[in-house]
Amino acid sequence: MSDGLRMAVLIKQVPDTSSATGVNPDGTVDRARAKKMINPFDKFALQKAIEVRNARGGEIFVISMGPPPAIAVLHEALEYGADKGYLLGDRRLAASDTLATAYALYKAVLYLKDIDIIFTGLQTTDGDTAQTGPQIAERMGVPQISYCETMEIEGKTVKATRIIDGGVQRLEVEMPVLITVANSAVKLEHKKFANVYKTKQALRDKDALADKIFTVDLDEVEADATRVGLVGSPTVVGKTWKIGEKGGSCKVFKGAAPKHEVELLVDEISKDERGVMEFVL
Amino acid sequence: MSQYTNIIVIADQIQGDLRPVTMELLGAASELAEKLGVKTHAIVMGSQISHIPEVLIHNGADEVYVVDQPELKEYSTLTYRRAAITVIESLPKPPHIILCGATTLGRDLAPRIAAYFETGLTADCTELDIGDYVHKGKADPNKTGTFNNCLYAIRPSFGESLKARILGPWKNPQMATARTGAMIPFKTDTTRTGKITPMTVKFEDSDFRLKVIETVREVSSDLDLLKAKVIVSGGFGLGGPEGFEVVRDLASVFSESAVGSSRKAVDSGWIPYSHQVGQTGKTVRPRLYIALGISGAIQHRVGMSNSAMILAVNKDESAPIFQFAHYGIVGDLFEIAPLLKEQFKQAVPA
Repeated sequence: MSDGLRMAVLIKQVPDTSSATGVNPDGTVDRARAKKMINPFDKFALQKAIEVRNARGGEIFVISMGPPPAIAVLHEALEYGADKGYLLGDRRLAASDTLATAYALYKAVLYLKDIDIIFTGLQTTDGDTAQTGPQIAERMGVPQISYCETMEIEGKTVKATRIIDGGVQRLEVEMPVLITVANSAVKLEHKKFANVYKTKQALRDKDALADKIFTVDLDEVEADATRVGLVGSPTVVGKTWKIGEKGGSCKVFKGAAPKHEVELLVDEISKDERGVMEFVL
Repeated sequence: MSQYTNIIVIADQIQGDLRPVTMELLGAASELAEKLGVKTHAIVMGSQISHIPEVLIHNGADEVYVVDQPELKEYSTLTYRRAAITVIESLPKPPHIILCGATTLGRDLAPRIAAYFETGLTADCTELDIGDYVHKGKADPNKTGTFNNCLYAIRPSFGESLKARILGPWKNPQMATARTGAMIPFKTDTTRTGKITPMTVKFEDSDFRLKVIETVREVSSDLDLLKAKVIVSGGFGLGGPEGFEVVRDLASVFSESAVGSSRKAVDSGWIPYSHQVGQTGKTVRPRLYIALGISGAIQHRVGMSNSAMILAVNKDESAPIFQFAHYGIVGDLFEIAPLLKEQFKQAVPA
């Protein structure tokens, strides 16, 4: 399989805000207590990589940056069918913003050598910036296809479509390339039993696991520690505050006779100075 | 003269049409520029766009840098990146602030520009302001200090009911992207004048690695959500794709209307992603937003709470949407929506 592709998939562990655990009554998240999960957008990226590998041959390296417990998302990625997992873990990475994160992940991708395609999700559910992918591409000096919806591979050429505002673009590019995968691009599949079984086995066998999951730090990926973490991040969060509740101002109509309530409601709206009746045909 | 350099807005145009977000950014930029005592500049890139600089000036730009070359006919990351970087580097000093729309174009381009200049970028801002900042970092003593007139890039924080003010005063340009619909556009003034500076960009072969084979525009019967005056949206309460018939039917009673959706309905495959309103969809600001069977989770709310009037229909009286809607009606949407349609029709004199 000499022509197999070397693919990196970047995934992140995020708090599961749909779970009640660790979510405070006011809607803020207690990150220490919160249940964790793979960033949902990253599952599409992983699945796309698996599809490509199954059709075309190759190897999938999953990279995640985070504290030691984030290794759980690498185990899960193996269960889905990834080949190897790399945790970029280093205390000095704490508080990295998107630019610093992109630098660290770029170094991790370089560490893996000769990567043909880097897959990322569209964005994360916790940071929600969609910036890290393109910033890694900039540092690598490679093109990117963001919002990628479909892709075909011929040799080392990627033919893809990407979503743009009001349409789609068909693109063609030679590898290496970074692709951010749209959530409409693939239909998520369940984990294959065989992969889950293999992963569970490996987790019980130190030697087998040592061949699949790796933890690397900044020095191993030859990253400059002054360009990550708090010191290497050009932005900081200055202040946060709760989004003001406008509670109490809503005029609620409820009653046994819906027709009557609707009449009252529309009458009220028609007198409202915000003037929306001009749009009624 | 101000001690600060100017503010730059990167215009977002598709085939000669400026996107609404550009006018909104010019509005926000003009306010920031006034506070700083500087000018609002715009960069516009494309092919055969000679009519655009004037429009940008009418909408708040004081000076427009134009790169009008055939290579820029369709958006491509690397060619637009080259053009934007060339213009910015031609300035005597880095701009104080660069703003870009959080459109598919801006979200593709802005991160690359920020990484190129090794500067901070805050995504999807809903407010921008200017203010001072005191940094008392113990872990990063090199950054400690008092900074005046920094960009306050304000954005809702991930699925939480929080807003965060992001700062990056250590390096210019300070960059931010903003969602469409989040800011108030500049009041168009066709008598406004400004300077138009044509620029020529020399591309490198490597800028054409990404080949645009074809750009297909959707011919959609649905009016763009971003332009609609009235949006009728459906959520999980619709129960299935057929539920959107009720939504469309109610929308049909309004002119300039569009159909929106919550994320849950999109994730369930009931309606395409392009209809999604919210944190991971579009931010809208219509005159009237009607939410049918939408609970009003924060992820939806951040995309529509700036609507002039919000009307919620939900059978659950305790749904969060009743916390911030202006009008609400508790009941079965399948019963209420057709009644609303009839009543709205009746309420206007024929």
